[in-house]
Amino acid sequence: MKFSTRELVLLAAFGALWGVVEITLGSVLKSLDVPLSGMLLSGVGLLVALIARLFVPRRGATLFVGIIAMLLKLFSLGGVIIGPMMAIFAEALLAELILSGLGPSRPSFVIAGALGTSWSLIQPFITGPMLMGHSFLEMWQAVINKAARILHLPQQSLWLIILLFVGLHLLGGGVAGWLAWPLGHHLQRRSQQQEAR
Amino acid sequence: MKPKTPLLPLGIAGQVALLSGVLALVMLASRPLLPAVAALCILLTLAGFQPPEPRRLLHPRRLLLLLLLALPPLFLLGPRNAHWHRLHYSATGAATAMQIALRFTVVMLAVEGFTRTLSISELAGFLERLGLRGLGFSLGVALNLLPALQNSSQTTWHALQMRGGLRKQKRRALSYLVITILSNTLRRAEAIALAAEARAFTPQRARAWPITRRPLDKWLAASLLAALLTLLIYQ
Repeated sequence: MKFSTRELVLLAAFGALWGVVEITLGSVLKSLDVPLSGMLLSGVGLLVALIARLFVPRRGATLFVGIIAMLLKLFSLGGVIIGPMMAIFAEALLAELILSGLGPSRPSFVIAGALGTSWSLIQPFITGPMLMGHSFLEMWQAVINKAARILHLPQQSLWLIILLFVGLHLLGGGVAGWLAWPLGHHLQRRSQQQEAR
Repeated sequence: MKPKTPLLPLGIAGQVALLSGVLALVMLASRPLLPAVAALCILLTLAGFQPPEPRRLLHPRRLLLLLLLALPPLFLLGPRNAHWHRLHYSATGAATAMQIALRFTVVMLAVEGFTRTLSISELAGFLERLGLRGLGFSLGVALNLLPALQNSSQTTWHALQMRGGLRKQKRRALSYLVITILSNTLRRAEAIALAAEARAFTPQRARAWPITRRPLDKWLAASLLAALLTLLIYQ
């Protein structure tokens, strides 16, 4: 990963913005125990990282933004949260893999956003057994309970819960990716106009 | 107040190895071995990193989180077949709660000690040497931008609120908010990039942040790796 000075500054700015989102919005959402806060945070973070990819269209740019945001989170006040750090890195890595494989385009942004955001569904199955010593089955039960509560559905309709919960995460991330494309281009045009002036 | 020097004189590589090793050991240890492994990890963490501030460590939010994680299994996991005075609890749940509390304590101590001992620039310098060229510079820029971005985001939000907030035309207001915050970020980034280029700065020619090396680093990394392998084979 070799970036020019200008590219490094841009990546730093977008990384800082993701960090600000995690530190401020993240703390508020977690304190208020807002449902689907993980999905919301991933969506906003990935929106920033995907726009960064439009400004620095090179391999590794999205991952670089993620690493900066992760390190800012590590050293933020009231930190010591392994989960969000792991989530930021994994989301950035997933988005980077998709964008490196498919190249930047609106559909690839949508896929990258959707897959990145759906990491918040997978994460409990990794941190739960590793940090808390819960079994896979206990985590499955906890995730299904939470999903049923959020969706106001009885736990008996298991398949519907899974389908809706996964769909909701994919949709949330997909929308972030969908929005990042025009938003990034709009910002690019705006900064070009400013430079021309 | 001057921070206390850690007991074990470690360089950056040693401290990164200590954090990774301690986290891996405590997460991979099985239930019967966990108390011994956790005790060893706590000792190593206290010796290798600056001791954490008790005020930060015993912060009510953290204690509440620990209680929220550790208490439910005590009453919800398995039959309530044990009791303490008049309080009935599950023996299986108690074992799980102990496991959760031990892992949480070790992770908290290790990460807290690591962030207290190592500065963000030193860590960035270390990562740069691992191949992430320019990370130190980017991280420095990001750290300097952080307060300015927080301020500018808050100002934008207040300005939006004074004009009616998100009550009317939610979508348009939200898009204005996002575009303004992003434009401000880009404008600041542009100014920094121009300043860096004017000083002929290039990340390729920049001197990497110096990292401290200590003889104990390699020994500690090797011992932690050996302990990890022994644990995996023994289990």
